Amino acid sequence: MPARPANSTENPATRVSTRPLPFSPAFCSRMLSDLLLRDFRCFTECRVPLHPETTLFIGRNAQGKTSLMEAACVLLRLQSPRTSQKGELIRLGATTMLVEGTLDGKKVRCAQSATARRLAIDGAVCGRSGDYLAQSGLVVWMDHRDMNLLRGGAEHRRRYLDFAASQMFPDYLKALRGYERAVRGRNYVLKRDAVIQWRQADAFAGVMDEFAQVLRDRRQSLMDSVRPHVAKVHHDLSTGAEAVEVSYVPGFSGASLAEELAARRDEEGRNRQTAAGPHRDDLTLTLNGLDASTYASEGQQRSAALALKVAQARVLEEAAGKPPLLLLDDVFGELDAQRRRALLGLLPPGTQKIITTTTLDWARDEVVGGMVYGVEVGVVKQIEAGEIL
Amino acid sequence: MAALDYPPPLRRLIAQLKTLPGLGPRSAERMMLWLMHDAGRIEPLVDALADVTTRVHACDDCGFFIENGQECALCRNPKRQQRILCVVEQPSDVLRLERSGAFHGLYHVLGGKLSPLDNVTPEDLRIEPLLARVKSLHAEEVILAVGSDVEGEATAGYLNELLRAEGLSVTRLAQGLPAGGALDHVDELTLYQALQGRRKL
Ligand SMILES: [Zn+2]
Repeated sequence: MPARPANSTENPATRVSTRPLPFSPAFCSRMLSDLLLRDFRCFTECRVPLHPETTLFIGRNAQGKTSLMEAACVLLRLQSPRTSQKGELIRLGATTMLVEGTLDGKKVRCAQSATARRLAIDGAVCGRSGDYLAQSGLVVWMDHRDMNLLRGGAEHRRRYLDFAASQMFPDYLKALRGYERAVRGRNYVLKRDAVIQWRQADAFAGVMDEFAQVLRDRRQSLMDSVRPHVAKVHHDLSTGAEAVEVSYVPGFSGASLAEELAARRDEEGRNRQTAAGPHRDDLTLTLNGLDASTYASEGQQRSAALALKVAQARVLEEAAGKPPLLLLDDVFGELDAQRRRALLGLLPPGTQKIITTTTLDWARDEVVGGMVYGVEVGVVKQIEAGEIL
Repeated sequence: MAALDYPPPLRRLIAQLKTLPGLGPRSAERMMLWLMHDAGRIEPLVDALADVTTRVHACDDCGFFIENGQECALCRNPKRQQRILCVVEQPSDVLRLERSGAFHGLYHVLGGKLSPLDNVTPEDLRIEPLLARVKSLHAEEVILAVGSDVEGEATAGYLNELLRAEGLSVTRLAQGLPAGGALDHVDELTLYQALQGRRKL
């Protein structure tokens, strides 16, 4: 990618400042204005006011700054991109973790023990997670693992689909959980006996089928929305030099998954696993018509990964009518100045951001205003810009 | 010196309590303490358990419970429709459906649902007896009133294949049941409606 000459008229070098940015009341009401963690990961108790635009957590690795972002993600979406084991969120030695925050002026709260979860909005208990999620906010999470969208296995791209689709479609998570359970049951049946009990395998295929249709429809329509944004964002990131195309490749093609599986019985008999279905879904990315996972440079792959995530933010904004909360875990440090600036410019305006970083070196040249916190061994302390710069 | 522990009979009691579903080591220990707190608490429990083993068994036909020496109030009731069979997971489901008042045929308790991940295979369920029973009763319709979670649906699909091969009409409870739920979380009115609106598989 050709280096762009520094343009002195845009992004005047500004130091990080703790001065609150001017913001409109409309944005003010669309955000997470504070966060309280109790017995969450390494935090015994921690209360952090958040800035309407940018909150920065600075600290060395393993001090807990990513856990603060994770808490925001758990509070809003009841899931963490870092773990599927809910117990890991509870501080060692504690029995229950609690995350609480003020979202759009409402008090939202999520408490989790080893066996139970309690959700509440404005003090009223929310029995169904679906009701809670419908009233909660949307989230985009970006971190260094996003490169796996290009370089990693298909499971990383399916996780991308799941993270966005579960926020856009109320029936998605239920279909996903049901499908996963059914396919695990079916794979177990295929492996269990010397002579495969096909009637049992077929019964589980029948259950998978209905869920599979939902997942394919939803993932397809998500990617229909994402595709033009990815092309546009990548175009802007690469200053028009490259064309990126992303497409959804479903793991089964016919009208019925059960029929497709029945037709592939020999193959399943040999491999002892379910041969088709949404668990085989993938995305393909091409750069100027060539497979981006093999032919793109590291810089180009990094841009494509960013484009996928920015596109996700835009699609979620379209779906919800307001920008999602952006959680950026240590992404700026590893970008060059040009991509960093481009990324900041591409994020939907007025978006609330929580950013973690190990160093503020990169921020010296950017317009990043807001609140700045230092994080050290599970203790969070607001710091003045002058102390660190 | 060995670490101090409860005397062996108490350890054995805790071990037994732990085998009960939903009871972890801590709850089992609490239950033992509760029993030991007052000697009067143990006798009635021992009595009830002894009574169950000597006075109750499951009906060979439907799988519901009968007091020894008595006939099955369901299977031996001539007023019930003999050619329509309702398949449920547990004996408790029989009571729930009966209380809905919407069903007047015979029941068949499977004793669970197909669940490979929990190691439950068709051989662990009363499926062979079901097939024998539909033949001997010359049944015309079988209602599958199993849960609507993944395993319940798979069980329904499995039984549907087997029963249709026998030329039977197979129906499933209508929608309105909470998705992923078992029958014991459903109120009687919902069950009544679900039975009225059962759909053909
Ligand atoms: Zn009986």
